Amino acid sequence: MKILGISAHYHDSAAALVIDGMPIAAVQEERLSRRKNDAAFPLLAIEWCLDHAGIEPEALDAVVFYERPMLKFDRILTSALRAFPRSWRAFPQAMRNSIGEKIWVRGVISSHLGLPRHKILFTEHHQSHAAAAFLAAPTREAAILTTDGVGEWATTTVGLGARRPNGAASITLLREVRFPHSLGLLYSTFTAYLGFAVNEGEYKVMGLASYGRPTLVNEVRRLIRRTPDGAFCLDLDYFDFHTTAQRSYSPRFIDLFGRPRSPYEPIDLETAEGRRFADCAASVQQVLEDTLVEIARALRQETGLTDLCMGGGVALNGVANSRILAESGFERLFVPPAPGDAGCALGAALYADRIHFKNPDCLVPDHPFWGPAVDGSALVQLAREDHQSCEELNDAELVDRTADDLVAGRVVGWMEGAIEFGPRALGHRSIFAAPHSADMRDRLNRDIKYREEFRPFAPVVPIEVADRYFELPPGGARLARFMSGVFRVRPEWRTRLAAITHIDGTARVQTLEQSMAPRIHALLESYGRRSGIPILLNTSFNLAGEPIVNRAVEGYSTFRRSGIDVLVAGSARVAKRASSAIQKEIISCSKSVAG
Amino acid sequence: MRQILLWPIHSWVWLDAARRASNLLRFAETEAEGGRDLVRAAELTPDPQLRTLFLFHARDEQRHAELFRRHGSLLHQALSGSCRSGNRADWLAPGERGLDDLRIEELEAGPLLAFLHLSEKSAAADFASYRDVLERDPSTRAVFDQVLRDEVYHMNYTLAQLVRVSPQRHRVLLWRARLSRLWKGYLRLALALAGVISGLLLTILYFTLLPPFSYLAKRAARKEPTGWLPVSPQRNASLDREY
Repeated sequence: MKILGISAHYHDSAAALVIDGMPIAAVQEERLSRRKNDAAFPLLAIEWCLDHAGIEPEALDAVVFYERPMLKFDRILTSALRAFPRSWRAFPQAMRNSIGEKIWVRGVISSHLGLPRHKILFTEHHQSHAAAAFLAAPTREAAILTTDGVGEWATTTVGLGARRPNGAASITLLREVRFPHSLGLLYSTFTAYLGFAVNEGEYKVMGLASYGRPTLVNEVRRLIRRTPDGAFCLDLDYFDFHTTAQRSYSPRFIDLFGRPRSPYEPIDLETAEGRRFADCAASVQQVLEDTLVEIARALRQETGLTDLCMGGGVALNGVANSRILAESGFERLFVPPAPGDAGCALGAALYADRIHFKNPDCLVPDHPFWGPAVDGSALVQLAREDHQSCEELNDAELVDRTADDLVAGRVVGWMEGAIEFGPRALGHRSIFAAPHSADMRDRLNRDIKYREEFRPFAPVVPIEVADRYFELPPGGARLARFMSGVFRVRPEWRTRLAAITHIDGTARVQTLEQSMAPRIHALLESYGRRSGIPILLNTSFNLAGEPIVNRAVEGYSTFRRSGIDVLVAGSARVAKRASSAIQKEIISCSKSVAG
Repeated sequence: MRQILLWPIHSWVWLDAARRASNLLRFAETEAEGGRDLVRAAELTPDPQLRTLFLFHARDEQRHAELFRRHGSLLHQALSGSCRSGNRADWLAPGERGLDDLRIEELEAGPLLAFLHLSEKSAAADFASYRDVLERDPSTRAVFDQVLRDEVYHMNYTLAQLVRVSPQRHRVLLWRARLSRLWKGYLRLALALAGVISGLLLTILYFTLLPPFSYLAKRAARKEPTGWLPVSPQRNASLDREY
């Protein structure tokens, strides 16, 4: 069967194609449209998936949308009614948004793909999260925990996933917490309060939390109360997200926590105000972790299972994930590479395949590389046109040359194979650098990523030696496969791994198995032979405000605009010319302008 | 002529420190957006010379964004809390509009260069008039001075490149771009007007139709339990439903 999964219209839209039970392609729209967090209907992603598989839309057996649009509309309308008359500003905007496009999904898909309406199916939002988490994980039976801002009504669900010996798979959601009570929205409210963009700045809150002390935990606990059955509910007097789209926190929230930070105000951790913001971040982070750990611990006791699969945007919080692994009693924690809404495209397609159509289950390859592949020859052509020196090398030469570059302190843009599905660059679209000095971290933040100095960088390390450098608990190496956990750097290595060690002595580690990315594994080994430490700093290959690069030309333009010294795409290697040569080129272009 | 007529409005808009700060911060976003559009143009063009110039231009836009953002932030921080939430009147001080919602992927070099040239020209004229009314704020004036120098270069190179890539048709392309800008201006106005009208109608509906339903919804909400709610197995039995 050929099943296309689609997620769209909120943030980070995506498409995924499953053929005969196996994912063939999955890509986020932003990687193709080049608009960060593109929420538009993912036409480019769909086109690419179908092209990649060499099929026409008519050949599809089903198209599955990742949520039920009318149920979502029901929640939006009901929320407006409940908040009457305070919702008067939000109501026209919400209606225009929903009625304008979002509730006509069946018609939109049908008209774009020319498919009969009966081929278009809908899963529930958290069902899609659960399926993305469980059906792509190498486990036979697991508890499932999904949590995000909000889907249709559910914001948190728990359930069970099982694969039977006869090939049947099942996902049973047992219970849910419903909007407006949401851990994701609690965290997003603090994200907005701290002056960061909601749905994008949550990473920054997590990074900032390490600089603060959880002195405001009691205040945060006034916002979120635990219910006797082990769930939670928000005190809505402190929030405005359910009444207006303009602001997520209420005046009472400001009374409790003080003046919010303006997005344009720098966070100076030397000042009392800066420390207050960091303390706010640390406090909400701790409350989030405590709540998740307690929910997971109860789920472990209830199910007696040893594996937990997590989905939803909150599962991107690596610090919380590590605490869940350490404290909930689960032995293994599986977080897919795309636990957010983009991953729902794959989850919805897998759910339809295994559960709705009852096709036999098969293990999904355990890697994140489902997108378009990079074409090294395109880089060669671009470099030649621009008179840049470009070499084509075999794998061994390329690995050695790159290791030499890295040892010499050069920053390398690295593109190989298919692009990752999900928000993290796991080696196929990465910027690599030496992880040893804080100067390198500052240089990357200042000259390449153009981002706040308090944000940490992640390391990538071969799985077989990871334990030597990082304190990985049992199950930690698995959690770190897709960079989903944060672990302590062993104290004796912290000064030699200063660029990737966060202020609190932790790092968001990626453990790399040779079979997942053999060339990067070879690069790590080669670098290890030269430097004595087989670890590299690994950050996503993009500049601030831009999606991760996809094609060679995007890597090349990023390379030319930033402080990246060397670019590798496939087997091609380009090194940056001296700045005088670049200046000469611009002068020559300018002369032609004058002429 | 237009600038002379608009002089009193610009003077009024830029007199207020809060509006000055918010306008600069808005310009910063627009310049950054324009820079990203130019990067995209550089990535798509097969012409190496244009690629270099677009990337150089994109870097300028990024630098302008940083200039505007840094200076706007300084002005913003100097304001007291009550002033920050002042009336913005953004629409009275147009800057560049990214590339005016241009679909870069669908454009060839000629039309794109024509559009860029006019965009830069119009922004340069606007920025020059803002600079002229900022006599009492030399630091903001200096920011505009710096940006203006680049805008003049951008105007020149886009025109020169347009003549290079379309020696026969560059005048036609410029006229087409002018008409397209006019059309987009009309569309923006029409959309804004439609937004106001639909907003008004929906607000009237909100206050006239919704109150009884709101009463019922609130009553139901009071009865709704908090905490875990069971998920019925039947609820997800079918994937055909949209609700």
